Amino acid sequence: MNSLQPDFDYEAAIRRCALGERAALHALYEREARWLLGVAIRIVRRHELANEILHDAFLQIWQKASGFDAALGSGRGWIYSIVRYRALDVIRNGEREQPIDAALLDCLEDPGEGPLAQLSRNSDTQALHRCLHQLDDERRACILLAYVDGLSQRQIAEQIGSPLGTVKAWIRRSLITLKDCLS
Amino acid sequence: MNFSDENDLQASAGEYVLGGLSLDEREIFEVELQRNRALAAAVGQWQDRLLRLVPAAAAVEPPAALWQRIERNLPGSQAAVGRTDRRWWDNVRFWRAWGLAGALAVLVLTFLLVLPAPSGVAPARFIAVLETPGAGARWIVQADAVSVQLIPVAAVAPGAKQSLQFWTKQLGAAGPTSLGLVAANQRIVIPTSRLPGLSANQLFEVTLEPEHGSPLARPTGPVLALGRTVQL
Repeated sequence: MNSLQPDFDYEAAIRRCALGERAALHALYEREARWLLGVAIRIVRRHELANEILHDAFLQIWQKASGFDAALGSGRGWIYSIVRYRALDVIRNGEREQPIDAALLDCLEDPGEGPLAQLSRNSDTQALHRCLHQLDDERRACILLAYVDGLSQRQIAEQIGSPLGTVKAWIRRSLITLKDCLS
Repeated sequence: MNFSDENDLQASAGEYVLGGLSLDEREIFEVELQRNRALAAAVGQWQDRLLRLVPAAAAVEPPAALWQRIERNLPGSQAAVGRTDRRWWDNVRFWRAWGLAGALAVLVLTFLLVLPAPSGVAPARFIAVLETPGAGARWIVQADAVSVQLIPVAAVAPGAKQSLQFWTKQLGAAGPTSLGLVAANQRIVIPTSRLPGLSANQLFEVTLEPEHGSPLARPTGPVLALGRTVQL
């Protein structure tokens, strides 16, 4: 499943992309495309748009590979960020047609069906799960709505009916709590 | 944003990776990110920490043709060359030149057609005129056992976010096979080995698709022109 997959050398594959080896990009695609597409669909809510995001993101991975610095973080984290930022750029440009209420329902009304429940089944993420549970329900929802569903802080504030400043303060404090808990 | 306090720096990096910052905040952050290595490291760490929030059950199999499309559009790929340089779309001299080239191609082709076939065993040759219904011929397809040529005979001008995709479908086939994106008003040569087969009455068509081609394994846009092969 979606483990950290230590048996695959993401950093080496990205370095080979920087050298122009298409087989390395293909290996990354074979390894991650289905997970990355899941991430993109969750954010943009439309399969065809998510396919375009995956397409654009892999061209970006190829073009940016020479700028990747393994000292700053893992190759896998870098790749996911490229896909997420691309998806977020697309929905921030107003291309999302799906009302965001559907995303909210997944996270707030029935947490048993949301990403948090899926996290709890994955042993690699148990520490994060434990740390997330140190947060209040509402603050935890803010983090998940932002990361998993790609909502902006303004959208989150509108959805949960709290001022933007409050949501921003919650998110910043929650992030520090998470970081301390995980370290 | 305060980048001198460790907690503030960490919180801002986390907010940035979550992706919820306003555009103004994001711009300020990215300027600092270019010059502040501690901030870049914090971003890398948050990318790794939050990666574990990717839902485990979220895998979705991409369409089979997506990798081929990515590979085709990598810089340096033949099909990508024409598409990355958009300026020629607006160049009138370019269009005139290609219009002339198209007309010349028709003349050459006509000349070839009226020549008697060489004696001995002539390899099978096919031709199809791809017409826009009501608007005449746009391309001619000439094919033999070695190569397929798509020859423009009238100018087409797809929009900036559109592309032309070339397809073929054999008589009785379940669906068309993509032969790739083609540059407008340019003669294209494809090895016949890339076709599912070559025979008389085989359909060739060009459709108007999104910028990076049809997202599906079949045409999604309007047919610009189509025609069936006849054996020469």
